Amino acid sequence: MATQISQDRTSERQALTAEQEELLEAGSLADTDIQARPHAFYTAMRRGDPIHYDARLGSWLVTRHEDISAVQSDPVTFSVQHGYSEQQARGMRDEFEAYLREHGGGYFPDAIMSDPPYHTRIRKLMEQAFTAHRVKELEPRITEVVRGVIADVVERGDGKCDAVKDIAIPLTIRVIVEQLGLDQGMEDEISRWSVAVTAQIGAMQSRETMLQNAALIAQLQQYLIAKMKACEENPTEDMISDLVHAEVTNADGSKEKLTFAEAVSLVRATLIAGNDTTATAIGNLFYVLTTRPGMAELLDSVVDDERQLNRFIEEHLRSEPPVRALSRMTTREVTVNGTAIPAHAHMLLVYGSGNDDESVFPEPRKFDITRQNLGRHVAFGGGPHRCVGLALARMEVKVAAREIARQMKNMALAIPESEIRYTPTVATRTIESLPITFEKREG
Amino acid sequence: MGTLKVTMTDVDGDTHTFDDVEEGISLMELGRQNGVAGIMGDCGGGCACATCHVYVSENWVERVGDPDDIEFAMLDMVADVMKDNSRLGCQIRMVAELDGLEVTVAPASSY
Repeated sequence: MATQISQDRTSERQALTAEQEELLEAGSLADTDIQARPHAFYTAMRRGDPIHYDARLGSWLVTRHEDISAVQSDPVTFSVQHGYSEQQARGMRDEFEAYLREHGGGYFPDAIMSDPPYHTRIRKLMEQAFTAHRVKELEPRITEVVRGVIADVVERGDGKCDAVKDIAIPLTIRVIVEQLGLDQGMEDEISRWSVAVTAQIGAMQSRETMLQNAALIAQLQQYLIAKMKACEENPTEDMISDLVHAEVTNADGSKEKLTFAEAVSLVRATLIAGNDTTATAIGNLFYVLTTRPGMAELLDSVVDDERQLNRFIEEHLRSEPPVRALSRMTTREVTVNGTAIPAHAHMLLVYGSGNDDESVFPEPRKFDITRQNLGRHVAFGGGPHRCVGLALARMEVKVAAREIARQMKNMALAIPESEIRYTPTVATRTIESLPITFEKREG
Repeated sequence: MGTLKVTMTDVDGDTHTFDDVEEGISLMELGRQNGVAGIMGDCGGGCACATCHVYVSENWVERVGDPDDIEFAMLDMVADVMKDNSRLGCQIRMVAELDGLEVTVAPASSY
């Protein structure tokens, strides 16, 4: 339910150490070192300046759990549509848009990245495809896909792989390709296209990389448009066809067909959101399994206990949230937790920090599957824009964890931890490549 | 307009009585449409977020029934406020048999 934010609420600021003061003064979420290892920066903001203006980014960073929750519950004061639009190809939006109009079959604004009441009807349509019960029906087939991807890597027999490039990325792409009804064997293209789309909200592009990415997005759109045109003529049993033929229900009960442009944006969003962030979660899983003492043993101990495995996955999403921060824009001047924010200001809800808020999750860096309030984490956001694919994402990560534990053992990082590279972006915290060694676990 | 009756006590302790509830509507939809405090329904009724958590009153527990495995898994994520009579409002659809149902909205999982 949308509620208007209370402007009276303030919570205590804590004293910072000299080191933290300096980090706040000099640090920025645009700094790639901070993006890769952000926790100290998050802690300094959360304690001393919870709604922190990041001058280099030109964004207000919302870092406490209570403030993230309050902001996302008021979609009218804090607009996703304007926030997303401002963040997209930041500073180069007009050129990006013109490029896609000329080369990509059109510019298709994201229908789901919108505000109520328009958002409400689009959202309702997408929700029907992603209920936990529908997702559960997909579990056997997804298990087959995931088992196959991991088995192929294990059967190569050399006991090494790139856990991100050989497993996490192809696995999630194969699942969403099957859901949508796209062509198999296009993992490499889809992976490149996904990175290009996600880069648009990463705030880290130069003009040159923006144009390279726009060229990839144009290819993606041309591919999707051709597929969708074919579905218009010959309906198929998949999500693309569902979206091409979908009707939305208006508040007065009347029905209206989605426009083709809306449908393109929703297919594109499903494809990208459905693989990039989930792949990141699985990449992060390999990372913790190979670097945190006791994690692999803990996974082994819960793998056959559905309840404990669900808790393990939820704590993993809290502890290593794939989506770091998403955008909002103020539609009026507003005070959040004692900090006055002007109208039309860009904000980032820093989920990575909210999930580490000690006032909600004591000892946040401890991995604890017995937490009694795991459901409060904000890895999926919250409020009316809470991730619509959350049940599918959870299930894919769970199935991956189960298959990793069943097929692989004695996993170890094959490079020094300090050499792990993260994608330069404010939007996600994504490991680009993770070489590991392992042994085959005999069934 | 339907004819079924539902009483919901919200998180602030205010009681809302609805006596024109249609068959087929879920308690989450009913609560959200009427601004019942504490019913958010973020995931839209997908049994995937536990923001429409209610306690079913003693007399109704048997008729409403137990959560299935999927619903239980979500309730387990708010274990600190979960009770034996916990259900997700999105998973309870109104039928004639539930005419007169009484529930209390559960508080959010703690800080």
